[in-house]
Amino acid sequence: MGTQINDIEAKEIRVSYGIHEILKGVTLEAEQKKFIGIIGPNGSGKTTLLKCIYRTLDPAQGAVYIGGEPLTSMKPRESAKRLAVVAQHNYYNFEFSVQEVVLMGRSPHKKALERDNAQDYEIARRALQTVGMEAFSGRSFSTLSGGEQQRVILARALAQQTPCLVLDEPTNHLDVTHQLQLLKIVKNLGVTVVSAIHDLNIAASFCDILYVMKDGRIEGHGAPAEVLTTDFIRTIYNVETEITRDSRGKMHILFLS
Amino acid sequence: MKKRKIIQTSVFLTALAVLLGLLVFSVLASVAFGNADISIREVYSVFLYEIFHIKRFEEFASGPVHDVVWLIRFPRAMLGLSVGMGLSVCGAVMQAIVKNPLADPYILGISSGASLGATMAIVLGVGSVFGGHFVGVTAFIGAMTTSFAVVFIANMGGRANAAKLILAGMAISSVCSAMSNFVLYLAHNKGATEEVVQWTMGSLANTKWSEIQVVLPIMLAGTVIFWSQFRSLNMMLLGDETAITLGTDLHRVRTVYLILSSVMVGFAVYCAGTIGFVGLIVPHAVRMISGTDHKKLIPLSALVGAIFLIWADVACRVILENSEMPIGIFVSVIGAPCFIYLMVRRSYGFGGAR
Repeated sequence: MGTQINDIEAKEIRVSYGIHEILKGVTLEAEQKKFIGIIGPNGSGKTTLLKCIYRTLDPAQGAVYIGGEPLTSMKPRESAKRLAVVAQHNYYNFEFSVQEVVLMGRSPHKKALERDNAQDYEIARRALQTVGMEAFSGRSFSTLSGGEQQRVILARALAQQTPCLVLDEPTNHLDVTHQLQLLKIVKNLGVTVVSAIHDLNIAASFCDILYVMKDGRIEGHGAPAEVLTTDFIRTIYNVETEITRDSRGKMHILFLS
Repeated sequence: MKKRKIIQTSVFLTALAVLLGLLVFSVLASVAFGNADISIREVYSVFLYEIFHIKRFEEFASGPVHDVVWLIRFPRAMLGLSVGMGLSVCGAVMQAIVKNPLADPYILGISSGASLGATMAIVLGVGSVFGGHFVGVTAFIGAMTTSFAVVFIANMGGRANAAKLILAGMAISSVCSAMSNFVLYLAHNKGATEEVVQWTMGSLANTKWSEIQVVLPIMLAGTVIFWSQFRSLNMMLLGDETAITLGTDLHRVRTVYLILSSVMVGFAVYCAGTIGFVGLIVPHAVRMISGTDHKKLIPLSALVGAIFLIWADVACRVILENSEMPIGIFVSVIGAPCFIYLMVRRSYGFGGAR
């Protein structure tokens, strides 16, 4: 099987801040429109790894490939056509309208002097519709709640129309309804997704493959049912759990304290 | 959504057209104000003659009335237009570059660099080889040197970012003002000190067509270039990281913008000294109405800034009898209260609250 446009591959990534090595040779593969989850305790290097993938951080060693091509050989415009990002912090110190924010997702597809045309507006409208924020189109972005902002940023990423999507704890500010809604949207997009996820139960129910990180290393990967065992969770998180299945066969992790 | 877009676009185009009309009116009307007692009929006779060469107005082809209108007042209005436009656009751009609503065109230390240049020229005669307008030339050199120094320093030890630019600008700025004070202190020359003070307050007086021919094209070209860059300018407000994920590496464009706006501000300083506040308040006032999108902000700021400075100059000419108020003083006196009013009237973020 050849390399697909929606493959993401990170090979032997190493990153240091000063003397602290944050990533100690991390390798991750995401292919075939799978939903890849990255879990691990705080400070395990999840966000740093994602930043290398969406190229706001240059790894000291190793390389990231999208569709088989090294990221470093691509112009930002090209990588932005292949990979969209919903990052953690999206606090902006100014007032753009929701529509303006989403339309910015179209910019990698635009030449320098090209104006947004009817098609771009339509793509932006549909992206907002997908995340259920169409009614907010004219609102000022900064007046929205954290969860609403997060959904608008997802709409912006959708407007990029990329074969790959990177999410950094996308459900952080969301209530249960919108957590599930957002992840369902993402899962049904038919694109390759790499997402850092905090909640193990959410990770278990949405991800096809889980990568578990601790102290800058990948400690294991595989299907959720293989990875999330009582023993493994104890080694990684230092907590006791009980893993059960509900009437529909869905996995649930109960934390015992 | 589509309908709203059409409405928004037509409102924007109408606003542009209205402001453009207002600008033409302002230039023509401002020429009628001044200390010399010239009737409105005479003023426009000169215009009609100079532009259309109508025989009937031939008596206005030369003489004192012609000179006052065509060689003093009209170029002055055009200078106000150019400088107001340039400073406002550069203000909007600087606010985007450093992501800070307090930024103005002089944030890179340009004004104190220019003052240092002017001080050295006035007090020590530096640059007198440049001929008649050597003070302006030396100020221009000072302005460019400081802004390049600031950009260079901000790029040392890693990529420049908003905070580094502001801090480097402040540092260079205080060095320059310390040095110009030192020069003044050593010189003990009252006349020169007075001249320096007057220069820093800014003035549109004593301009010539030869200056306008240089400055106006530069400001127009700069405005059009920045207007065409609206995408990158919008991106700047999202920050470098987000911009990369949206396909724009801001590092290089930022340096280009800094250089271009330094040139524009440098020429503004060369012609008119350091006129403060225009570049700060005009983009803010426009943003409150048009929103943050630079596609609208840049052209509207250019027009509003031009109109504002033309009328500010008119006010300076008529407020004091037989004398002129320095325009820098007037702009600050009028601008600051307006600014405060705008600020408290609306719940104010960095841009137009809606």
